[in-house]
Amino acid sequence: MIQLLRAASLAAFALCAGPVSAQELPAPTGETLLTVTGAIARTNDEGAALFDRAMLEGLEPVTIETETIWTEGPQTFTGVSLARLMDELGGEGETLMATAINDYAVEIPAGDAVEGGAIVAYLNNGEPMSVRGKGPLWIVYPFDASPDYRTEAIYSRSIWQLDRIDVLP
Amino acid sequence: MASLGTGTIPRRIGGALAAAGTIVLAAALVLWIVTSALREIDDLATASSDDVEWSLAQLDVEYLRLRLALSEAQRDPGALDAVRRRFDVFYSRIATLSSGEVYSELRADAAFDGALEEVRAFLDASIPAIDAGDAALRAATPDLAAAAADRTDDVRTLTLSGLATFVDMAETRREQVMETLSRMAALLLVLFAGLALLAFWLLRLNRLSASRARLIEQTGTRMRTIVETSLDAILVTDEAGRILESNRAARAIFGYSEEEARGADALSLLFPDEDPEAAREGALQFLESGRRPDPAEQQFELMGRSKDGRAFPVELSVDRAKGPDGPVYVSFIRDISRRKLAEEGLTEARDKALAGEKAKAEFLAVMSHEMRTPLNGLLGSIQLMRDTDLSQRQAGLVDTMHGTGNHLLGLINDVLDLSKYEAGKLTAETRVFDPARLLDGVVETTASLAAANGNALGWSWAGAPVGPLKGDARRLRQVLLNLVGNALKFTRGGAVEIEAEALGNDLLEIRVIDSGIGISPEDLGRIFQDFETVDSSYARQAGGTGLGLGIARRLVEIMGGRIGAESEPGEGSLFWVRLPMVAADQAVSGTPLAADAPGPGARPLSILLVEDNEINRFVAREMLQSDGHEVTEAVNGQAGVEWAERRRFDVILMDISMPVMDGQEAARRIRSGSGPCARTPIVAVTAHALPEEVARFREAGMEHSISKPIDRAALSRIMALLGDTSPEAAPATASLAALKDGTDPDVLRRLVAKFIGEMDAAVAVFPDEDDMGALAAQAHRQAGSCAAFGLGELRETLARIETEAKEGTRPDREIEALADLWTRIRPGFVAELESNAP
Repeated sequence: MIQLLRAASLAAFALCAGPVSAQELPAPTGETLLTVTGAIARTNDEGAALFDRAMLEGLEPVTIETETIWTEGPQTFTGVSLARLMDELGGEGETLMATAINDYAVEIPAGDAVEGGAIVAYLNNGEPMSVRGKGPLWIVYPFDASPDYRTEAIYSRSIWQLDRIDVLP
Repeated sequence: MASLGTGTIPRRIGGALAAAGTIVLAAALVLWIVTSALREIDDLATASSDDVEWSLAQLDVEYLRLRLALSEAQRDPGALDAVRRRFDVFYSRIATLSSGEVYSELRADAAFDGALEEVRAFLDASIPAIDAGDAALRAATPDLAAAAADRTDDVRTLTLSGLATFVDMAETRREQVMETLSRMAALLLVLFAGLALLAFWLLRLNRLSASRARLIEQTGTRMRTIVETSLDAILVTDEAGRILESNRAARAIFGYSEEEARGADALSLLFPDEDPEAAREGALQFLESGRRPDPAEQQFELMGRSKDGRAFPVELSVDRAKGPDGPVYVSFIRDISRRKLAEEGLTEARDKALAGEKAKAEFLAVMSHEMRTPLNGLLGSIQLMRDTDLSQRQAGLVDTMHGTGNHLLGLINDVLDLSKYEAGKLTAETRVFDPARLLDGVVETTASLAAANGNALGWSWAGAPVGPLKGDARRLRQVLLNLVGNALKFTRGGAVEIEAEALGNDLLEIRVIDSGIGISPEDLGRIFQDFETVDSSYARQAGGTGLGLGIARRLVEIMGGRIGAESEPGEGSLFWVRLPMVAADQAVSGTPLAADAPGPGARPLSILLVEDNEINRFVAREMLQSDGHEVTEAVNGQAGVEWAERRRFDVILMDISMPVMDGQEAARRIRSGSGPCARTPIVAVTAHALPEEVARFREAGMEHSISKPIDRAALSRIMALLGDTSPEAAPATASLAALKDGTDPDVLRRLVAKFIGEMDAAVAVFPDEDDMGALAAQAHRQAGSCAAFGLGELRETLARIETEAKEGTRPDREIEALADLWTRIRPGFVAELESNAP
């Protein structure tokens, strides 16, 4: 319920901020955590959109409760929905090529960027994630919500230590 | 094949159970396989593992990158950040391996876990240096590089053992999948086999039902053909008797078309002549009570009527069967009019044949009688010739003629007896007789034959003598004469012995034993059959028709007895006769008239002899004249009547078959006329002796009869009888007392003496009197005498004798009563006679 209220308020905010969205993406002030390139409408650095933690936290945080095969016990993940992120950037691609600090790379279909779908998590159990703890960003699916999210393809798309997304047209 | 046998029902139930079990088993199998397959699918649908191989490969890569960064940092201090990042990445990888669920199975391997601990210890120990400032890190870099290098083997161990475990896991998983697939394949095979079986079974069922349907159709066709080609009408009716179906024969016989017959009431349409109510209560009773007809009720006859009105008898055979709408009755109907006709024809033919047989027997009897007439002349003449002077040679010839004639007479008598028997005209008489006297007579009669063959002949009692008996003495005598005659014929120079014996109280056995040639055992059985002469040489030796013993057997049977023979060829034979023995209560009174002596009271008579045959007339006249009678001859009935009107005769002897006027007509005229002879006794002289003829003679007025050929003794006897009791000698009608009062004692004495004589004669003659008419006449006359002397009881007894004799039955009881009565009364009359003695 809280999530829904939050989602609703964020949506309202997004509508109000419609004109602002059309504007240039503000430049990051802190350490850049995520770089989005490719087929996006809004950028803030030579065709790329750079995000620091504050910018990400400003994009309607979403929390997922689920277990993962890589952790022990129930986990909460808080982050920005992939769909919200693509909206923010006006992404028009079919595929998101996500790459991690450890150079792991995987193609995520644009279709995964839906409401209640994958999120770009920046908090695990309310704590920021270090690189040693699969941070700072981790694309997480709501695995427990549906068996469709417990497939090897989805697991392979759950990329941790994320730092770049290239939106392929 | 499903049959109707009793054993198939349990088999069917067993089959059904087996089928049900198979289906349940198959369902359970399918369920199990599907469940496990679904679980497998479920497992496959949600992968519980990430790409472990990738992770392990990355472990190596990230470890090497850390070491590369560390060695770079020793040369280039600006690369410290890279060291930190590579450390963090490697740390993250190790942390994931340490905590991730997906790697729990890898961690279960001791080598893997140990190596992991080593690496983690290294990483944890390195953290302070990594997290410290650049200067400190820079200073620690060589040590870190060395420590990292020391972990090369551990990282290698992690990779290799992890891979090995993963391979095992994959192997297990593949085996599981393979197992599931194998199970499914097996199940598929089983299901396929089951389906194949099912298909085969269905095919068989299909074939079976097809062949059954074909069979039923064939049966039906055959049945229809049978029904349609039947010569008998076949009707199928419902319970109410309405016609449901009919066959071609039914339509042909009754003439109704199928449409006319269907639905009609069978009884009223086809059998209108039968009373429906009576039929339903009678032959069709089973229809009323709606049950199956009993076997006895299934066949009966009715009168049918066809559409064109022809009535005909039919025979029905009905039974009940199940129909689609309740029970039906199937009737086979046969037109039996032709059979009925044939039956009638047969009956008629049989009746005709029987009548023919009877006519033949009658003819034979008549012929035998007729043959006796000329014999009469022959034998009589021969008897008379003996009285004349003859030379020795002539006497011998006369004897031969006499013997031959007697033989011929015997043959004729045999045939006559047989004819009488076949015509059913022989019945046993019951009279009182003395067996001793009868046997005396038999011996006497056959003595001459015994002497001729040089045989000794005699009779004796075996055991106690038997007194008077009741029975048919005449027939017994005939039988014994036959047996003794045979014995004498077949014995030369031997002995023939007659033995009589009482067997118990009620059986008399008479045995005729000879010492003759005997009879072989195979012949013994058939000698009592007709026309059986044991050996042709015997027949030549003894002569005969072969009827003798057959007739003897019949006569014995008529008397209720049995006859038999035992013999030893060469030793002799024994013939026995066993008869029921009924003792008579009284002695035989009087003596029968001797064959060769005139009866008491014989006197010369004037006799009218009416006879057309000159020889017979001559013989009879000679016999009568030799007894001292006066004879007047008439050549036919007409002449006899004329003589009878002209003058009175004491007796008229009347032949029956005569030209111009026969004896019966003549007698009738004499009786109905008013001439002097109207009450003269007339004796019928006849070869006919059948009872109905005797009755006719009596009707014509001839109370007496004498058989041809005339036996001299019999003639003498009857003349003596008639002469003594002629009507003119009848006493006046007054009481004895009245007679005593006003009658001359001499006259009375004469009357009493005459009455005693008459009664003695009556008592003596009555038991042997064969002629009922004569008996009735004598009784009538005697009754008149009794009335004259006031003897009411005696008169009444005589009246009863007369009545019964007229009715044709022999009044044996009354005759005995008469003898008793007379025995009581006689002494008084004798005393009267003596008291009046002069």
